[in-house]
Amino acid sequence: MKALSKMFGRSRQFLNFSVTFVSVLLCILILPTRFPGMELLGIGPNWLLIWLVAWSIKRKRTVWGAASMGMVLGFLQDAMTAPHPTHAVSLVVVGVLTVVLQKSWSIPADIVERDPIPIALIVFGMAVVAETVMGLQFFAMGDRALLEIWSYHQRVALCSAILSSLWAPVIYFPLNRLWEMTRSLEKS
Amino acid sequence: MLKNTIRRWWDLRLPIALLGLAVTAAWGVRQTQGAPLFEVYNWVSRPFQANGSGQEQLISARTQELQARLLESETQNQKLKELLGYVSTKKPKGIVAPIVGRSADHWWQQVTLGRGSNNGIKTDFTVMGPGGLVGRVVSVTPNTSLVLLISDPTSQLGVGITRSRNMGFMRGKGPNQAVMEFFDNVPNVKPGDVVSTSSFSQLFPAGLPVGKIVSVDMNKTPAPEAIVEFSAPMNSLEWAVVYPHSKDVEQKASAGESSAPAGGEKQ
Repeated sequence: MKALSKMFGRSRQFLNFSVTFVSVLLCILILPTRFPGMELLGIGPNWLLIWLVAWSIKRKRTVWGAASMGMVLGFLQDAMTAPHPTHAVSLVVVGVLTVVLQKSWSIPADIVERDPIPIALIVFGMAVVAETVMGLQFFAMGDRALLEIWSYHQRVALCSAILSSLWAPVIYFPLNRLWEMTRSLEKS
Repeated sequence: MLKNTIRRWWDLRLPIALLGLAVTAAWGVRQTQGAPLFEVYNWVSRPFQANGSGQEQLISARTQELQARLLESETQNQKLKELLGYVSTKKPKGIVAPIVGRSADHWWQQVTLGRGSNNGIKTDFTVMGPGGLVGRVVSVTPNTSLVLLISDPTSQLGVGITRSRNMGFMRGKGPNQAVMEFFDNVPNVKPGDVVSTSSFSQLFPAGLPVGKIVSVDMNKTPAPEAIVEFSAPMNSLEWAVVYPHSKDVEQKASAGESSAPAGGEKQ
């Protein structure tokens, strides 16, 4: 068994990597869709943000890892919409904040894994943070009026936070399960 | 101490290399405007794309568009009678495209069309929906194209009131409204007036129906403002028609003719 697990060490690493890759790809492909029940005032959940929170909430993540992952996802979202201002900033902030939150509060892993409420709450807060950072970036660019950004921000932040937190368990639980499975395979 | 640090970094070489690779790859995708992603998206979502049914709710919008076009044509006709010798040569043919996706974030108002450069769509082409102008193509992949809607705050266009010929410019505000700022201090405008693109607009051909005035604020400084409601139902669009348009042609045309109302003909 040990020899077997050693032999397939590379392929397990590959499995772990492909779980990550495929789930990010799925999140990206679902971004432009607006299925009934998934939108509020034309605004859908922020799938990449949910994915990032689910990824960063794991215990062994570092601040730098979360920052680079946020940057990767931000660049990908830039590619899907428009590159200025970049989405990387808001997602980096979210990734770093999640890791810091997880480390400073040391949220017990079994509670997060069993109960959907903590992850939904964290995603709610992070969605508000992300939209606020985007709003600030638009303000810094200066081609939209502050009043306009503010009134739009309220609507976007609220809708996005509600929908993202409601849909967060849908991403988090299967993903966490897959990561746990690959890790337990690695340990056995 | 130093040895330990170096060893720790050496142990981390694989994660660092992977992260570097991931950042570089994401940067690459960003630089190509996500062309591979949109292609994959189009391929995956093909079974779910609209197949032309359920158009009943759009018929009334279409009627409104036709009324607006008629009014526009009549007014233009009067103008043209004054301009002796004017001959319209343009008769563009549209490319019908299904709308397969919406904006991928919350701050941009965009849609993705299921036709791309393989069908002859290029950047800067004009996109019309049932009801009127919808937006402008900003990037194209072989089978998809990304459209910036006129409801996006960054898309500004020159528009005019069809009835009184008062000009101004419009910028998007929210999903189905826009703010129009007039050039005149006392424009002749009232709620219900039809708004269409003007010949000041370089990104769009002149004379395309945009929407209707719903309210006017004459006391606004520096210029009077009006709220425009789009005649195309932006949130329930399923199909759009793409018309060829490029900035250079428009500039040439406007250099040749003092006020060339380029045809917004359809079909």
